Amino acid sequence: MNLVVNGDAESGPGGSADPVVDVNGWDVWEGAPALVAYSLGGGYPTAADPGPASRGSRFFSGGNSPRTALVQDIVLPAQGRTGRQAVDAGRVRYTLAGWLGGYAAQEDGVRLSVEFRDGRGTPVALSVLGPVTAAERQSRTALLERTASAAVPPGARTARVLLVFTRSGGGTSNDGYADAVSLTLTATAKPSGGHQ
Amino acid sequence: MTRLNRRDLLKAAGAAGALNLAWPLSAGLTPAQAREAAEALGADYDPAPFTLGVASGDPQTGSVLLWTRLAPEPLAGEQPLPEIVEVDWVVATDPALRRVVARGTAPASATLGHSVHVPVSGLRPGTRYWYAFTALGRTSRTGRTRTAPAGHVASVRFAAANCQAFHDGFYAAHRGIAREDVDFVVHLGDYIYEHGQVGGVPADHVRDHEGGEIFTVADYRRRHALYKGDRSLREAHAAHPWFLTWDDHEVVNDYSGTGGGAPFMKRRAAAYQAWYENMPHRDAGAAALPDPEIHRTRRWGDLLELTVLDLRSHRSAQNLPDGTILGARQKSWLKRNVDRAPDTWHVWANSIMLSQLRGRPGGSYMFTDQWDGFLAERKEVLGHVQGSGLEDLVVITGDWHSAFVDDIRPDYDDPSSPVIGTEFTAHSVTSGAYSADWNKANGPLMGAANPHLKYFEGNRYGYDVYEVTPRRFSAHMRVVADRRDPVSPVTTLTTFHVDRGTAGSYEDPATKNSPAQWRRDG
Repeated sequence: MNLVVNGDAESGPGGSADPVVDVNGWDVWEGAPALVAYSLGGGYPTAADPGPASRGSRFFSGGNSPRTALVQDIVLPAQGRTGRQAVDAGRVRYTLAGWLGGYAAQEDGVRLSVEFRDGRGTPVALSVLGPVTAAERQSRTALLERTASAAVPPGARTARVLLVFTRSGGGTSNDGYADAVSLTLTATAKPSGGHQ
Repeated sequence: MTRLNRRDLLKAAGAAGALNLAWPLSAGLTPAQAREAAEALGADYDPAPFTLGVASGDPQTGSVLLWTRLAPEPLAGEQPLPEIVEVDWVVATDPALRRVVARGTAPASATLGHSVHVPVSGLRPGTRYWYAFTALGRTSRTGRTRTAPAGHVASVRFAAANCQAFHDGFYAAHRGIAREDVDFVVHLGDYIYEHGQVGGVPADHVRDHEGGEIFTVADYRRRHALYKGDRSLREAHAAHPWFLTWDDHEVVNDYSGTGGGAPFMKRRAAAYQAWYENMPHRDAGAAALPDPEIHRTRRWGDLLELTVLDLRSHRSAQNLPDGTILGARQKSWLKRNVDRAPDTWHVWANSIMLSQLRGRPGGSYMFTDQWDGFLAERKEVLGHVQGSGLEDLVVITGDWHSAFVDDIRPDYDDPSSPVIGTEFTAHSVTSGAYSADWNKANGPLMGAANPHLKYFEGNRYGYDVYEVTPRRFSAHMRVVADRRDPVSPVTTLTTFHVDRGTAGSYEDPATKNSPAQWRRDG
């Protein structure tokens, strides 16, 4: 199950390139994101550009700010096969995934990260994806899939998912693009480490 | 594995006709061989897995942050360890760790370079503690730390270090800091340098970087591990709690934290992550890695308020009419803190020079990477300090590889602008300064061009020790005799004082005749 709410930009206000004030599921920390429709055109990614196979109708962009940051704090499940007991026994892994991209040969981009924290808020694990460079996109407008997987450390209780869109050079449009952001937990049979 | 030793390396290099070839650590060596080569040439490490030592940071009245990083192969990007290693820690009131007051376990994750950051709480204010970690059946060295005091405080002593290019010298300055009777240490940045090898070992440099310019998390991890291969740096970390800020070389020379393209943002995130992994930094709840939150205010009882500034993460490009070195949020935060400041000494940990610095009368600013490239913001912030009536402001600065003492004025171009504080820019630990000839010629020129500049000395290396009482703030400039000597003796070059309630500094009469290349009151 994807723990990220509205990781696909499908819910809440948006649809154009105009920035929105609120984004369902996310706190806007900085800047002004837009939830852009693939049907908008005008150079934005379309259904025909590289991106998620099931991409829905919209994606995130950095709007018109040089730096736009969205954050989502997730409380890890207390019970179940990926609950606290399993986490503390070292039997849970996480996968962070997202489709990240930008416009043509420009170097605007978006970085996706997850920081796991223990019950006191101390960082205990980190995965960082992107930003995808123009070279990686072969200088075409595209979103490319990026994933990271690792063990959830014992004691982890929350996860902070962060999207940071950055504009390079001039212009007003922050053309970092993101879609299909997900964080999933899986139970494993074998512990990932522990006291040696 | 082929064993390498110093003699063979030097012999091979000598046969090749270039002694600097003795330090190509990345040339096809495994991490283990690279470590061996590094050790043969003067680096060393604590026993595995605690090769990089232990550290503490961000002391508060009831807590301090403990740090270590497991790195059995310090020069490897990824460690030969399980994905998660649980690390036990213990805090005691005695060096033998018998009177234990706190203990626990923290997970070291491969995703964070197998580092652990433990904020220990429930401690007593103003108390010395000792601590150690245990993992993989081994116990680390014992570190010593201290919590901040509460209430009335009669004195505090602290050291400030900056700019420690590995190739430019050994860390005798950190050896000195480790032996100082100080409550804490402030590092003002340029803890590592990002560039590749400089060559010229040992004719021009005592040692060298382990490889080329660094870009990835693995690269930056390796570079931090190389620097911690100087035992004096590990000693200084283990001896005192540190407060930390950073300057540019933790990422790349003269960078602005905002506005770069995707390749730079990727590099910046890698550098920031590795910095966090290798530092005793307490990350505040409001931030999220890989962007640690550096700026903070801390109290040392009723005597001193320390404001740690971050002059890199949020800055714009230089020389813009609306440019910013602090970023809008940090600037608002700083101004609010000035408004609410208690009646104490106010110390700003400031990585890069605040005061105006023209190279010669009528000439341009020497470097606009420093606050001189952010004129409107400097005027706004210092004008706010003046307007608020804040007194007893001392700014401690690094970056310049030379010592300066400046009067702080809200408008440096207006001689009638009042003195509102003092800036002490400390010598570097090792990073190369201008030549003695340059200093001799340019000290008087800078003095003539900058009426607020009281002192300049650029021929030495070291650190500052600050001694603070309710009545006086004293800056002792400690210098090493020879940065090429790992155990070089430390002496005090001179001392400046600031009296409480009186803006401006004066040099101690006992050391007023010490060597310097500019002295206004000489």
